[in-house]
Amino acid sequence: MVRDRLNLAWLQLLSFAIATLAASLLLPSRWLVDALVLLLAAVKGRVIVLDFLGLRHAPALWRGLLTTWLTGLVVLAGLAVAIRALV
Amino acid sequence: MSATVGEEELERWGVLDGLPGDPMMWVLIFSELVAFGLLLGAFVVARAVHPAVFTAGQAMLDSRLAAANTIVLVTSGWAAARGAAAARNPAPIVARRWIAVAMLLGVAFIAIKLTEYGGEIAAGAGLETSAFFTLYFLLTGFHLMHVLLGIMVLAIVGRSATANGVETGTAFWHMVDLVWIVMFPILYLVR
Repeated sequence: MVRDRLNLAWLQLLSFAIATLAASLLLPSRWLVDALVLLLAAVKGRVIVLDFLGLRHAPALWRGLLTTWLTGLVVLAGLAVAIRALV
Repeated sequence: MSATVGEEELERWGVLDGLPGDPMMWVLIFSELVAFGLLLGAFVVARAVHPAVFTAGQAMLDSRLAAANTIVLVTSGWAAARGAAAARNPAPIVARRWIAVAMLLGVAFIAIKLTEYGGEIAAGAGLETSAFFTLYFLLTGFHLMHVLLGIMVLAIVGRSATANGVETGTAFWHMVDLVWIVMFPILYLVR
């Protein structure tokens, strides 16, 4: 059961990593690339937190803290891109 | 009396007791995440202030090698997680094998990163080339030191392959993995 979940998490991470590179190389819109690679980073990070770090069954406080760190950085990077494009 | 002392020993970490591995490792992990978070935040803000310098610097990076390193590191994280699962079973011999795979992939990550550094330095990039490269080498160098430290931690916990030891060591390794997952798009891909 645990092994299956870990294998699934690994396959998800590999797929998202390949999708990240493909998006950066193939998509024509810079905005779309930035948004997509940041979203994929957040999703990959969440998989690592829940399945590899094993916090799926840990107290919600710790999952929340790590998710806040992850989304905080992704949102900051996204905001910086958006502000630069608007100014 | 001794039973009371034993109970106190067990309860002394409070809320940290719900985390896998040694609670002291989590104190280190949260400290490291704060440090990396501040550095990455500084990078994002500096790029917003000097967009042209950062775009020129980013164009000199090899995002394909970095993407290959992402695949190497997540696979290493998977091997480490399988090692921790085996150690909990307990199957120490299987756990050691998975930990060895994780360590080898960690060495591969370092080799790829050094190859990438070689190309960048040959192209004229250095610590003082621009604000981009100062922050780039600082961030990736700091991360690379953690990969090296993580390999040493895995080597230590892999020797005994106890459940708690392997959970503690692999938690550090997954933190290194998590940081790279966020660092890769911010440094290499987002313009």
